[in-house]
Amino acid sequence: MDVDLRPVRKLRESAVARSALGPIMEAVCASPADLARLRVVCDWIQYKQNFREAVVSRPVADTDTEIAFDLRRCADIAPENLAAQVKQALSGPPGLALEPWVPGRDSCIWRFNQLYWQALSHWEQATGREYEQSLPGGESDARNTEAARELILELFRIWDELDARRALPEELYVLELGVGNGSQARTWLDEFVQLDRRHGREYYHRLRYLMGDYSPHVLERAHQAVAHHGEKVSALVVEATRPAVTLGFLAAKAFLVYISNVYDNLPTDELASIHGRTYQVQTQAFLTEEDAEEIAGRFGTSRDGLVPLIDRLLRIGPELLSESSPAQFAGPGQAVAFWQAVWAALRLRERYVPLEGLDSYQVGPSLTGEILRPLIEGQGDVRMHVSNGALGSFTGTLPLLHPFGRIQCHDLFLTGRWQYRSGFYGPGKYDGSVVNWVNGPLLQLVGSRRGFGVEFTPFRQRPGSNVVTLTAQARD
Amino acid sequence: MTLLPTTVVGSYSVPEWLERLKTEYYQRRISVQHLTEIHEVAIKAAVKDQELAGIDIVSDGELRRDNDVDYFLARIPGVHIPQRAKTDYFDYYEAEVTRPLPEHPETSLGLAGDFRFTRQLTARPIKFSFTGPFSLSRRIRDDAYTEPGDLVRALARRLNAEARELAEAGADLLQIDEPFLAGYPEQVDLAVEAVNIVTDGVPVTWALHVCYGNRYARPSWEGHYDFLFPAVKAARVDQIVLEFARKGLDDLRLIRQHGWDKWLGLGVVDVKSAEVEAAELVASRIRRALEYVPADRLMINPDCGLRHLAPEAARQKLRAMVAGAALVRTELIEGGQT
Repeated sequence: MDVDLRPVRKLRESAVARSALGPIMEAVCASPADLARLRVVCDWIQYKQNFREAVVSRPVADTDTEIAFDLRRCADIAPENLAAQVKQALSGPPGLALEPWVPGRDSCIWRFNQLYWQALSHWEQATGREYEQSLPGGESDARNTEAARELILELFRIWDELDARRALPEELYVLELGVGNGSQARTWLDEFVQLDRRHGREYYHRLRYLMGDYSPHVLERAHQAVAHHGEKVSALVVEATRPAVTLGFLAAKAFLVYISNVYDNLPTDELASIHGRTYQVQTQAFLTEEDAEEIAGRFGTSRDGLVPLIDRLLRIGPELLSESSPAQFAGPGQAVAFWQAVWAALRLRERYVPLEGLDSYQVGPSLTGEILRPLIEGQGDVRMHVSNGALGSFTGTLPLLHPFGRIQCHDLFLTGRWQYRSGFYGPGKYDGSVVNWVNGPLLQLVGSRRGFGVEFTPFRQRPGSNVVTLTAQARD
Repeated sequence: MTLLPTTVVGSYSVPEWLERLKTEYYQRRISVQHLTEIHEVAIKAAVKDQELAGIDIVSDGELRRDNDVDYFLARIPGVHIPQRAKTDYFDYYEAEVTRPLPEHPETSLGLAGDFRFTRQLTARPIKFSFTGPFSLSRRIRDDAYTEPGDLVRALARRLNAEARELAEAGADLLQIDEPFLAGYPEQVDLAVEAVNIVTDGVPVTWALHVCYGNRYARPSWEGHYDFLFPAVKAARVDQIVLEFARKGLDDLRLIRQHGWDKWLGLGVVDVKSAEVEAAELVASRIRRALEYVPADRLMINPDCGLRHLAPEAARQKLRAMVAGAALVRTELIEGGQT
């Protein structure tokens, strides 16, 4: 039996975490599982809203089993109940499956995530607060004037140099992906105007600030926030994972691409190496029987009627759902209540499916799993995000950069592959959206293979934050 | 030679599996002997691909070379490379010179041997290209020469000796690549001076390729070829090989404006995009070029090396290029313009 204790810092710091270990081992050993074919994994899941029960089991191919514990919650479970939960987890949770087994990136949790951004106003109306208030600290990291000033002055330095060589383009493009409520753009542009005035080169006249976001609603709101900058700003609906579809015209033109808190919210698979073999983690979203019965009863449908109703919600959103089913939902507010109830109850079960070679796995349309080899091979047992959506966005954005351009991205990045052996990095629930930390070393590797130096630094403007700043610019 | 002959710039598609093997060599997972054999097999396939595509003048695909610089720097006596391990084969070495390069070293770079290997593979004419002294110098930390141009000149003399060996081995079309020159337009005179040192006394057809960089399939610089002229007219070469497909054909005006009366290698295929050009698009680019250059001085080639294209994309682009050239050739012949 392998025992993988990941939250090493918590174990050192927390007596609660340590105290859970003994009962866990007792419960495992009392279970009917073949201990020789069992892996025990302990995490500390920091997200209070997440997709897991305290104890879950995962088949490893058809032969072995992994049983995973959330130490944070297990510490509160009485030993006899823990044994029962282990037994129940090993027998496989029945529940109401919302989808077939799929790779993580194809799970319906991402449809929920998409719905959150598309119908954000309804969600906010129901909760009575804007999404920024759900962020740690209550505001986006995007509003920091000092950070904006640093970036702008660096741009001025580059532009001055290019201008001296008569190589400065007539139009100076800056792109922001994931615009939030427009506060970043407003802060940045207002600061730009002031600094440009002092600098005296009239770069503002040549500036073209492009705002890209998936959500027209978000984009509209953000655009209003910078209305005083008039035609300097253009707003474009952009699919974050495929920026080139909308922004191809920008190839080799962007001097700055600014991205804040986008990558952690994009679909991802997970791969694992167990005993030298590589597996894909497949997932299946489900509701427990209790939750399914409760929600069905509350919203006037049957257990079996729940799956098509959820699918309908995800397809047409709460407003149309209430319009098309007035008997069931008196108004959009009630449809949102249904959405929120399902979201709160949503769970994921997982299994490990062997991969027949890394090159048989497509990270994205033009990137095979070969790129993962240096990260996943020879590292012992490890499970990591592939961050497919973030990679798609990142690799699609790199070609937009002017030879002297850069990407600056603030997000939840892992900065070393060893971190996957010592912590849990998602998925979790953040308000109505999904959050995963992003596999920084993988982005670094992919960037490097495309000729870009990728560096991580702490987000200086907010010490102590989990946010890390990624900077990518051409090297050689 | 056929009208509108087709050729390549130099490098050929490096498949993902070959990249992996090259990197594994640096990780000591395969031996130099095995890597040499792998390279030879890959070169045979590259030559065959070009022949099947109908390319008139083929190359060895530069498949032995990790990138455009290291293969040479690692072999030039006097260039010191402190750290030869690499994380990825395509990374550049950090090279330095701490004293002037030896003027008459006993060892050569071995390029003539590379040429001989290719010669036995094909009956078609071969273009053999190597990176020029100016670009090589950009990747060397110079602690030896007080006048920076002297390193460029010393490298040029080294390459001249190599070119003489290549000519003796039977090479008759040699190309100097200067992928870094566009980043240093103010130094074009020095680069041309160095080109003339390389070509001095070597009785072959000489081509000079200047592009805007193709590192990781991205341009390293942007701009126009204005900086090349009129300086390049002093270069003792027979052809200049330039990129036009990606950048557009506007710079063709320079050919007429400056009275360039030698051959032009016309880049008609964008090597930085996987999108395969239609033969008709290639043909239209050639027709446009014919407004500036007579057909008997026009050679048809991709913008730059095909290294970063996937194998199938490279093959399709070459076929499109050959078909496009054939379309225009037929028009010229039928129109009695030859």
